[in-house]
Amino acid sequence: MKQVTLEHAAKLVRNDQIVTIGGTLSQRIPAAMVRELARQGVKGLHLVKASPGFDADVLAAGGCLASVRAGMVTLEQPFGMAPNFRKAAERGELDVIENACPAVMASLQAAAYGLPFQAVAGFAGSDVPSIAPFATVKDPFTGNDTLVVPAIRPDWAILHVHEADVRGNARIYGTPVWDRLMSRAAKRVILTAEKIVDTSHFVAQPEMTVVPEIFVEAVVHAPNGAWPTAVFDRYDIDEPAMRHYLDISRTPEGFRKYLEETASHDRRALGVAA
Amino acid sequence: MSVSYSPADMMAVSMARLIRDGEVVFVGVNSPLPLAAATLARRHNAPNCTFISVGGGINPTVDRIMAATSTADLGRGSASIFDNQEIYGMNGRGGFDLTFLGMAQVDAKGRVNSSFIGDREKPKVRFPGGGGGPAILPMSKRAVLWRAGHSPKIFVEDVQFTTSDGNIDRIVTPLCIFRKEDGRLVLDSIHPGVTRAELAEKTGFRIPNLDDAPVTPEPTAEELAIIREIDPDNVRRVEFGLQ
Repeated sequence: MKQVTLEHAAKLVRNDQIVTIGGTLSQRIPAAMVRELARQGVKGLHLVKASPGFDADVLAAGGCLASVRAGMVTLEQPFGMAPNFRKAAERGELDVIENACPAVMASLQAAAYGLPFQAVAGFAGSDVPSIAPFATVKDPFTGNDTLVVPAIRPDWAILHVHEADVRGNARIYGTPVWDRLMSRAAKRVILTAEKIVDTSHFVAQPEMTVVPEIFVEAVVHAPNGAWPTAVFDRYDIDEPAMRHYLDISRTPEGFRKYLEETASHDRRALGVAA
Repeated sequence: MSVSYSPADMMAVSMARLIRDGEVVFVGVNSPLPLAAATLARRHNAPNCTFISVGGGINPTVDRIMAATSTADLGRGSASIFDNQEIYGMNGRGGFDLTFLGMAQVDAKGRVNSSFIGDREKPKVRFPGGGGGPAILPMSKRAVLWRAGHSPKIFVEDVQFTTSDGNIDRIVTPLCIFRKEDGRLVLDSIHPGVTRAELAEKTGFRIPNLDDAPVTPEPTAEELAIIREIDPDNVRRVEFGLQ
């Protein structure tokens, strides 16, 4: 039984750790957990994710981030760039490790397979490898110069899923984006789930299980836990709520107010397994 | 008889016409105009193209254009879910014939900067980042860039930092279409109603064949009818509202 409250799960994440966070841009972000991390005042996190969005913005607004290693950070249309991330980056308050989505993927793949580094395709003519942790090695089989990136093993993968059981098995409907990889690359996984279901649900169709229980440390029942971002087949992006966030989070006081006004939405008593 | 159309229509139609029948086409995040273009092409000029969406679909059912193209709704109607690892694996294998890529800035040599301006550690302007661009631009057989804006700040003589470079086929803007020729951007066509003086003024580098390039053929009534059918709420216009 790994089911805990959101507050308890957020306490597992300690200052200065490396985290990877599921979903993409404004899609299936574990937003309740991200807000709770900001509420609890965690500092110095290193976010490693190909395509952060709402998560990076909230954590930047909360002053939680030391660095972001990403291919792209945006809230996507119709909202545009993540303004709090941008502001923190332009003030030099966090280190943006210039990267590319498939390079972040390769670093996580190397970690997931227990390898020290992984080669990446492309990058001809790009200045990114010259300012980021890339290296050129000689392919011992062909003698060709080959670009590689190091393995990165996050302390935590924090994923929001459609369904989980109390043991930590999880299903995602629609594209899993990078979540499957994240769950293997990280040392441990924290799940927030729209719905807690019985283990028999997973046993009936094991091929649908994206995250197996063996990697999972904690499970949180978090209905609407991705709000105001979208969850496939459950809810779309809540555009007014997103606009409200963008408006109110312009100042530190406004952002604190946002965390307060969303606390009762995010923090709930333990849900009962169906 | 001419039908009225918007710059977004002209751009979507221009991008759709660049899709050749039978090609494997990838459309990524933040891409309402390429989504409209790929959907138009599948219903009109390239019915046998394969459309791969970052939302996880291979030839998904697209009955409306959405602003957030990373939505998993772009897996609906697909017979399989093709996640981001699959997509970048396929890109690495050279599996994409045509990819649409957004950008913050591009220079006269066709080098893209989507990263930052100024000091790296404390940039004057932080852009979103290149996404998959540094890996896609050299690997996709052809890449079409687009930007729903056209100014000397976007089209610059030299970018300070090259996020990505590679197989640029065309760059589509509200004013014109550029192509890359002998390592330099030249004018492929200028959109109807745009003057050459205006285009020169809004472009931060000299356009060598400014006076010689043809005018882009106007969207046809048929193309416009399909665009309006798939995007009755004019979501495609959203790209013009920001930045």
